[in-house]
Order: sequence, then C-alpha cells, then structure tokens
Amino acid sequence: MDVFEAIKTRRSIRKYKPDPVSDADLQKVLEAAHWAPSWANTQCWRFIVVRNPDIKKQVAGTLMKVQFGEDWLKNAAADAIVQAPVLIVACAQKGVAGYTRDGTPVTDKDDWLLFDVALSIQNLTLAARALGMGTVIVGAFDAEKAAAILDVPDGYSVVTMTPLGYPDHTGQAPPRKELTDIIYTDKYGKS
Amino acid sequence: MELFEAINNRRSIRHYTTDPVDDDKVNKILEAGRWAPSWANTQCWRFVVIRDPDIKARIGQSLMRIKRDDKLVDNPGTKAINDVPVLIVVCAEMNKSGCKPGDATSKDFVTDKGDWFMFDAALAVQNMVLAAHGLGLGTVIMGAFDAPMVEEILGIPEGYRVVILLPLGVPAREGKAPPRKSLDEIAARDRWDS
Repeated sequence: MDVFEAIKTRRSIRKYKPDPVSDADLQKVLEAAHWAPSWANTQCWRFIVVRNPDIKKQVAGTLMKVQFGEDWLKNAAADAIVQAPVLIVACAQKGVAGYTRDGTPVTDKDDWLLFDVALSIQNLTLAARALGMGTVIVGAFDAEKAAAILDVPDGYSVVTMTPLGYPDHTGQAPPRKELTDIIYTDKYGKS
Repeated sequence: MELFEAINNRRSIRHYTTDPVDDDKVNKILEAGRWAPSWANTQCWRFVVIRDPDIKARIGQSLMRIKRDDKLVDNPGTKAINDVPVLIVVCAEMNKSGCKPGDATSKDFVTDKGDWFMFDAALAVQNMVLAAHGLGLGTVIMGAFDAPMVEEILGIPEGYRVVILLPLGVPAREGKAPPRKSLDEIAARDRWDS
C-alpha cells in the first residue's frame, strides 16, 4: 500500500473479528515499529505481545471508563482488547531518551519516552493498516496495574497499548481542524 | 512509495543541498501530519513553516553547541537548518492531550503521564517523516535545542510549547541506519520475561 494511502485511510478500530493474526504479519508490524527513529538511537521501546485470553482480559480491566454526560461508560477499546486475537503493549525504559549518558536531562521536556514510543507506534499502526489489520491507540488506563499484571520491572513504564486484528467495522475519520488553523508561516499565528 | 519501503528506508538526513522544495510538497507533508490520530481527537499539534533565511539562522543558533578539542563549536545541525529551504517547527497546545474531555482549561490529567502532547506530536511527526521520504525528501527530528529561545523567536503564545525542529530538504548524502537492537531484545510474549 502506498505510504499516503496508509496515512489517510488508517482509522481507530474498536470492533474486531476473532480471526487469528499470523506470526509473519505480527513480525512485520513489530519490525516496522522498531525502524522508527529515536533519541540518539536509544530505542527505549519494549513490546509485549499478548495472545493469552486471560491476560488480555485482565489488561482490558485497567482501562478507564469514559464520561458521557452524567454517565460513566466502559471504554469501547476494553471490549476490543478482549475480541482481538493480539494485544500489543508498548513499554519504555525511563531515563534514556532525552538524557545524556550520565543521566542529565538535555531539554526542558525531561524524559522523551512518550515521544519516541509514539514514533514507533505510528509506524506500527500504519504497517497494520497496510496489512489489512486494525489498531486503536489506548492511553487512558491504569499503567501501574497493567505493569503489575505484565511483570514490567522498575525502571520501565507501560506507555500505550493497541489491540491488533481484523476490523469488524470500517471506522470513521473524526473531523480534522483545517490546515489553516494549525499551520503558520515564518512566525506563530501568521498564515 | 510503498509503505514498508518508506518505513525501512527512511534515514535521519544530516547533510542537505540548498535545492528548493515547492509548497505543494510541503502541504502534502503537513497534510500527512494532520491525519495522525490524537488523544480524543484533540489535535494539539501546530506547525510553523519557516522559509525566511534570517529566522532559520536564528533558530539554528538554538541548537546545543558541542565540545570538540576543548572548544565549543556549532552543532552540525545548525548548518543543516541553514542549508534546507524549509524548516518545520512542531509546536503543541498544552492541557489538551491526556486531559478529561470537555474542559478546555482543565489541568485534570487522566493518567500518570500528565500531558500527552509529546506523544501526539510524535504521531504526527512520524507521518510527516514518512511522507517526506515518500516524496524523495529528507528530514531529521531535532530535539536537543533551547526550546524557550525558539518560542521567543517565533512569538509562541502562552499555553503552547515548541516540541521539535524538522529540517526538510533534498538529501546531499545518503543517511546510514544505526544498528537496531534485535527483536528478541525488545519484544516479549504475554508477559515481560517469557
């Protein structure tokens, strides 16, 4: 699939078919994630591939509910994690991206782990799309509980997760801001 | 260009020609950034496209200088920023990504990560570097610079921050792929160790 087609047709998928994901396709999406650039090539990302239904269910239980008016509803992604044959959990080593070798932060942003993990996850979502699979990037979960379930050691943080499987709906593109609202020329605010 | 080819062959480009890049290509790259997903579709990213050589030169001075033979010398990235026809400065609005929806002034972060602006900006940036490569152009993601200095140069308002600098131009030299850890080192099954 063409790179622009993958970028423009990727959707967040919240319903999955039970159809299995082959090891070969799984390998392709993980390799795509791993080819992302990173701070001084530190590659702080680590991926846990969860196929075990019981562990998937436990991790789905860490997702936060979504407020809808007065009501608190289950996040649709929680069901998606149970449905999809694979859950990919992206973790990161703390204190490497954005730091000098002696552990001093280089910038006013401190740890760049969110940034570097996102570069790799975006490659992964695009690769999945090109292989006909769906993903949805989940951030609203209890990361400490997820770390306990998955035996993630101290010094690492669970950053994000996505179900991986075949879509059971087409997904909708939520409206984007106009380019003129987000792009300026030469100075901020100048169009 | 085929997606996997773009992902596998994209390199961080540190040497550029001064050849021009037309607006049509710049727009395609920005459009690719805009199509990234974001926290509750908050789209906190903002892009400043700089062609003005004087502004580029001033921003080039915000890069951290490096020590060579006990002397501080210009970061090689400074030359890259001066050489390229276009510098994209990626900024982000604070207190949107990672917050409870609906409340624009809320600093009520949902997770232990606080503001997710770095994450969402990076999703857009990865789309942009792949799109640029697909158009035969080079990029390099720069994070090690004095962001408050760039915020001042560009007149970035309160509530927004500069995240990265992205030079965009025609590569003068092929980039090299630094070695990656093996997949075994970074991927595990079901739990951390197994």
